[in-house]
Parts: sequence; C-alpha cells; structure tokens
Amino acid sequence: MSNPTTKVLEAAAQPRQPSGGSPQTMDGRVMNDRRKDLIQKFAALTGLLVLVAVFSMTSDAFLSVGNGMTIALQVTSIAYLGIAATCVIITGGIDLSVGSVLALAGVVAALAVKAGAPVPLGMGLGILVGAFCGLLNGLCVTRLKLPPFIATLGMMMVARGVALQITGARAVSGLGESFGELGNGAMFRIVRIGEDGFPDVVFPGIPYPVVLMVVIAIAVAIMLSRTTLGRHIYAVGSNAEAARLSGVNVAGVTLFTYVLSGTLAGLTGCVLMSRLVTAQPNEGVMYELDAIASAVIGGTSLIGGVGTISGTAIGAFVIGILRNGLNMNGVSSFTQQIIIGLVILLTVWIDQIRNRR
Amino acid sequence: MQQASLGTAPGRFPPAVAATELLRLDSITKRFPGVLALDGVGFDLRRGEVHALCGENGAGKSTLMKIISGQYQPDEGSITYKGEVRRFASSLDAERAGIAIIHQELNLVPHLSVAENIFLAREPKRGWPSKFFVDRSALRRQAQACLDRLGVDIRPDALVKSLSVAQCQMVEIAKALSLNAEIVIMDEPTSSLTESETALLFQVIRELKEQGVGIVYISHRLDEMALIVDRVTVLRDGRFVDTRSFADTCVDEIVARMVGRSLDDKFPERTSIPTSEVLMEVRGLTRRGVFHDVGFELRRGEILGFAGLMGAGRTEVARAIFGADPLDAGTIRLGERAITVKTPRDAIAHGIAYLSEDRKSHGLAVKMSVTQNLTLANMGAVSNALGFIDRKAEEQAAWRYIQMLSIRTPSPHQVARLLSGGNQQKIVIAKWLFRQSRILFFDEPTRGIDVGAKFAIYQLLDRLAAEGIGVVLISSELPEILGLTDRVAVFHEGRITAVLNTRETSQEEIMHFASGHGRPAAPGAETT
Repeated sequence: MSNPTTKVLEAAAQPRQPSGGSPQTMDGRVMNDRRKDLIQKFAALTGLLVLVAVFSMTSDAFLSVGNGMTIALQVTSIAYLGIAATCVIITGGIDLSVGSVLALAGVVAALAVKAGAPVPLGMGLGILVGAFCGLLNGLCVTRLKLPPFIATLGMMMVARGVALQITGARAVSGLGESFGELGNGAMFRIVRIGEDGFPDVVFPGIPYPVVLMVVIAIAVAIMLSRTTLGRHIYAVGSNAEAARLSGVNVAGVTLFTYVLSGTLAGLTGCVLMSRLVTAQPNEGVMYELDAIASAVIGGTSLIGGVGTISGTAIGAFVIGILRNGLNMNGVSSFTQQIIIGLVILLTVWIDQIRNRR
Repeated sequence: MQQASLGTAPGRFPPAVAATELLRLDSITKRFPGVLALDGVGFDLRRGEVHALCGENGAGKSTLMKIISGQYQPDEGSITYKGEVRRFASSLDAERAGIAIIHQELNLVPHLSVAENIFLAREPKRGWPSKFFVDRSALRRQAQACLDRLGVDIRPDALVKSLSVAQCQMVEIAKALSLNAEIVIMDEPTSSLTESETALLFQVIRELKEQGVGIVYISHRLDEMALIVDRVTVLRDGRFVDTRSFADTCVDEIVARMVGRSLDDKFPERTSIPTSEVLMEVRGLTRRGVFHDVGFELRRGEILGFAGLMGAGRTEVARAIFGADPLDAGTIRLGERAITVKTPRDAIAHGIAYLSEDRKSHGLAVKMSVTQNLTLANMGAVSNALGFIDRKAEEQAAWRYIQMLSIRTPSPHQVARLLSGGNQQKIVIAKWLFRQSRILFFDEPTRGIDVGAKFAIYQLLDRLAAEGIGVVLISSELPEILGLTDRVAVFHEGRITAVLNTRETSQEEIMHFASGHGRPAAPGAETT
C-alpha cells in the first residue's frame, strides 16, 4: 500500500483518531451492528430449539441419538441443494433444475456401475454429469442471456427426460453392496460384542452423508465469507453493473455458482441413490423447491445480495425436523405440506418486517 | 426570532403581488427517532406563484414537502389550506383536496398508455353491472383535454415507455391537473432534463401560474430559478432561515444562507500544476452512431474537462475507454504503450477508473458495507494467493480512507445504502484511490450532492491532480468546468469540436462550440 496518492491526501486530511483503531463511540456502534446480526441468527436458532422442545414433549422417541442421526441423514439432501441454491440466489439467480439433475446424475452413476465401472468412478461420472448440466445452465444465463428461471426450467425438463429415456423409466437395481456404502456407511460406529455373543451397537456412528454435509457447509461458508470469490458473488447479486465496472468478472462468477449448483445436485443424486442402492429416474421431484425454501427460511433474499450458509443450514433443519416430528406424531403428509407451507410464509413475513425497520 | 421575518415578508411586496394565500404552514415541528427533522418551520404559498424551497440535503426540504402532501403528519404546528385549518391524514387525502406532488423518480407505469397513466385507478367507467368497464373514449378525450391545457404535443395513446423523461414529466403534470390540483409540488423536476426540455417545462410552469396554480419548487439548480421563481424559502438543519422575493436576492446569497456561511469561492484554489508529460493519448476513437474520431491527450497532473450538451457523447467516450462499452475503432496509448481495452477489468489493470454519473445503479453495491465497496475493485491487495481475505488488513484500509476522505459513517460495516449522496460518492472515489488508479474519469461527480459536500469533492479533484493523477471531469455545469479544469474538450454530436485552454475561454465560447457552431465571430468574448 505504497500509493503515493494516499500520502498527500493523508497529510491533508485532519486525522481524527490514530489509524488502525476505531474510536470509542464508533466502536460501540460496530458492536451494536454485530450484536444485531447475532440476535437475528439467534432468533432463527431459537425457533429451531422450540420445535425440538415441542416435539420432545409430544413424542418420546423424538429426542434420541438414533433419531437425531435419522433427522441429520434426512436433512442432507435438502442441505446439499440448499447450500448450492443459496450461492445461486445470492447472485440474483435461481436454479430449478437440481431435482432433475440429481436424478440424471444418480442414474448415470448407476448405469456406469452396472456396466462394470468401479463405484467411485461411476459416482464421479455422475457428479461430472451434474456439473455439466450446471455449466449448460450457467452458459444459457451468461452467454445467451436467458432469465435464470427459464434457463433452469428448460434444464429441469431436459434432464428429467434424459434420465427417463436412458433407463426406459425403470429403476436400476442390483448394483451391489459397495454402491450403498456412501449412503449407508458411517464413521465412528462403535459396536461391542455383548455377553450373549450378539453385536451391541453402542454408538450408531455418523453417517457419511452427514459428514459430507458438514464438510460442504463449512467449505462453502468459508468460500462465501472469507474469499474474494465469495465477495464477488455478493457483489454481483447486490449490483451486477457496479460489480462489472469495478472489474469483477460477472459472467465468470455467475457461471461458477451454476456449476457449483449442478455439481452438488450430482452429489446429492449419488448419495440418494446409494442410500436406496437403487437408481430411480423419478427421484428428486420438487427437491428444488425444498432447496429454495431452506435458503429463504434461512434469510436469503430472492432479489440477491443477501444470504448465509448458516441461515440455510438452520432452514434445512427446520424443514427436516418439522417433517420428522410431524411424522412421529402421526400427522399425515398432506397436513405436513400445509404446515411447512405456512412456516415458509411466516418466516419470510417476519424477515420482511425486520428489514422494514 | 428568525420566524419573525416570515411575518414581515408579505409586507415588503406591493399589494398587487400579495395575491390570495393558498396555503400556510405555521411553526411546523416533526420529530423522527433521534432526529428533529423540522423545528418550528413556517411556509406560505399564494395562488399563481412559484415558491422555491432551498436547502442542503438533510435541511428538511423533503420532510416539509411530505407534510404538505399528507405523507407525514406534523407533531406540532398547523396547516391552513384555502383559509381553513386542515390535517391531511394521507397523501390520498391531500390529493383529493387538490395538492399533487411530482416526485423526482417519476411514478408512471411504463407499459400503459399516457391516458391510462393519467387516470390510473380513476378511470372513467361505463356499462353494467355497476360501471364495470373502462370507458376508453372518455378516457382518451379527458386525457387529451389535460394535455391540451398544458399545450404539449403528446398522444394520449402513446405508451409511456416510448416517451422521453421530459415528456413523462409533462404526463405527471397532466395527471396533477386532472386531479384539479391547486398546489403542485415539484421535486427536482429538471435534474434529468436537457436544456430545451427544461425550457419547455418552464413554459408549462408559467402556464400553470397563469391559471392560478401554486407551485412549490425544489431544485439544486439554483441558476435556473431566476427564470420562474417568485419567492424563495431557505431551510437549514430543519430550521426556517428566511423567505424572500427572488428579485431581492441572488444565487450567491441563497447559497450562503443554505450553508450558513458565505461561500466566497464556490471552487477551491487550484494547487496542482499540470505537467507536459502525456499520460494518455487517444486517437480516432469511434463507436458507430455514437461518437466519431474522438482524440485528446491527458497530461499528468491536469484536470481535463469534457463539456457539451447532454447526449453529445461525453459519457459514452469515457465508458468506451474504460471498456464498459465496445469500440469500433481508435487507439489508446498510455505513455509510449498502446493498450487494448475490452472490458473494465482490462482498463482497471492499466490504472484507468471511471466514476459513473449514476452512483446508485452503476457505482455502488448498495447492500454491501462501506468496507466491502471500498475494496471491491482491489481485492488482491487484501487477500492472499488463494483468495482468502485478510479482514484485518481490509478494515485497516477502510479506516484509512474513511479518515482521508472524511467519509461520515458510523462504522466501516455500515451498509452503503444508508449514507448520504456525498458520502456515497466519496466511497466510490476511495474505491478507485485504493486501486491506485492513475487516470480517473469523473462523470458528473457532484450531481445530487449538496453545496457543502460539492466543495469537498472539488478539493479532492484538485488534490488528486496535484498528486500527478490525470483527471477527466465530465460536467454539464459550465461554472464547474470553468472553475476547476485546466483544459476543456467540447463535445458536439459525438465529436470534439474544440479543445480550449480554460483560462483563455468563457462560458459563451464553450456554449458556442457545444452547440456545433464554429469559433465565435467576436474574439472579444474570450474573457474569463
């Protein structure tokens, strides 16, 4: 920072405070801003805890390590897609194709394994197919200048159609046990052989999909908040023209978010199909809406420029816990839809009121 | 005590001028959380007069305007409208009483026709049941009547999106007339009009005056006011300063009262001395249909003005050099080196920066913080090779520039949207200083900025030039060009018609070249 300009200007400016540090009064305001931010996060988290408390009281089986892992496992697919959706939505875009892309990716992975490819290679291929779909989405948006809604709506239909076409609309099964490892395996599983000679599960372990979810969430959160790429993603969503005139590669940044979205959709497809050890070309219908809902519940603005991964994670868990808890209380899936729909409306409305002030 | 002058003001006018009073506000006070926006302000408006409301940003003009138009209710004080004490509960309430407001950002629906816009939500109805259908012929006829009253040539069937800004303004005025408005409040009506469009607007305003309409006129362009304004009320920091007949005062006096001190010099003394070293040389720059064969050179440490009428191609040339718009032909040389600029990224890498005239939509990421805006063009300086941002370094940089440019913000994390226009402009300037740019294009840097903040920006331009930066100042305000620049390139219809030495030219000569004529016949006009 040896800009000669700055020296003269610095000399000319009246220094009001030692450089580097914040003055007392301003420090107070800074803290206030940060505290507000914390309180907002806290409010969402409190909502989540209230849900947990209510369900624990209404159902005995709800609050247990086993059910906790079940919820975490159920949340994974919403979370993968929600994290990707957050990045896309922050740029002011939207990706409607992820539900179909995950089906296509899972089916491709399964067909490859069926054709004799080793499982990691097959799944890698599936993820690549997802990334490719994302690339096409991104090119439609940045090169052909199609509205993201239209570009990804087209991909949603095309990808689903291809998945149905190449499988003849039939499930791909008989994939072998190793195909199910990613979706059903767990880390730190502790099993002791009991006195009766039968195995006794001390700790069910952390399922691989949950481990992946945590790793991806942390990685993307760091990318968004700590790197220049993340900063550029926010800048594009906040004001694309200002970003372009500041030298931000707007097309490149936008393209990246769609490729990321496609890649994570591909991964979701592989994990989902692996859990079932069967590839269903009809898997993942409407998942894109869950993903968008989790981002929106977590405070991401559909206009762009605003959103965090921690918020989306909370959003995903709100949806997951609601489903699980309502299931345990014997609430029908139709009623569940109504409740989740109302929760989305409520949270976004509260968010609007908060921002209006 | 200052209010007392309001009471005496009418007495200074001959009885013929002191026509019927239309509106009177007495000791209006309005508080917002933590701010006293208006403190015992008085204001009055007569039939057939244009009453200007002047003050710096934050002086309370818009609050007062919103109180007159019913958007806000005063905490204290009374509003007397046509001899009756009134309280307007809402803007709709005031509109029904005959008070219309024309906002700076026009409120028209672009995809509807002129007639539909004029009568939006008040369409003449016909048919059964209960007048369900829009009476299209009555709509067109009534709209035509409103437009005729203004004497403007706009078809009622034209879509609003096909109209110019000035024509949209006329439609807004027609809308106000259709409401039988007796008071029309105009907020910065000329800010985006060309000179001929402004003349047309003033013609319409005179028309309205003759019909007995009272007009509250708010504008930063004090120079134009002489043409239409009858009286001026000055506000400062939410307080009433005084009301005077425009004939009894002058622009300098108004400005002095607005800022509360006398501004002997509207422009700072130039401290920089331009060198002969050429920083940038531009030759044969052409973009078909926009500008042709534009050439100039920019020297180290000089301020080069781009003068000309709106649409003459000044902004377009700057944007093309910056890589924001494509170029068809031409060369740009930095010193000895010819450079190619295809995108803003290329230009920025070469140390060229462009500060847009439209801060909000082209300059700032308004949802992001001061710090994030500041470092946006130079993330490399505050991040490592892997792209991880060093937040401490970033915040330190932000503090330095906040001090250096005296940016008034509660914290570096404040969202840019919440700062005043002048401070937003400073953030954009800081962004390019942090990028260590060597050539800066300023496009209308003082538009919409109050007088005090303008001076600070002018000082900054001078300091930048003194530091050896090449500054290009694009401005539609000739005094600005004459007061600040070393040389002026005058544009006319996409060509540079003359490059003049500022010290040896005059407003008349610049206007001459800007309107496409040759060198003025009388060389005697060449005085400063």
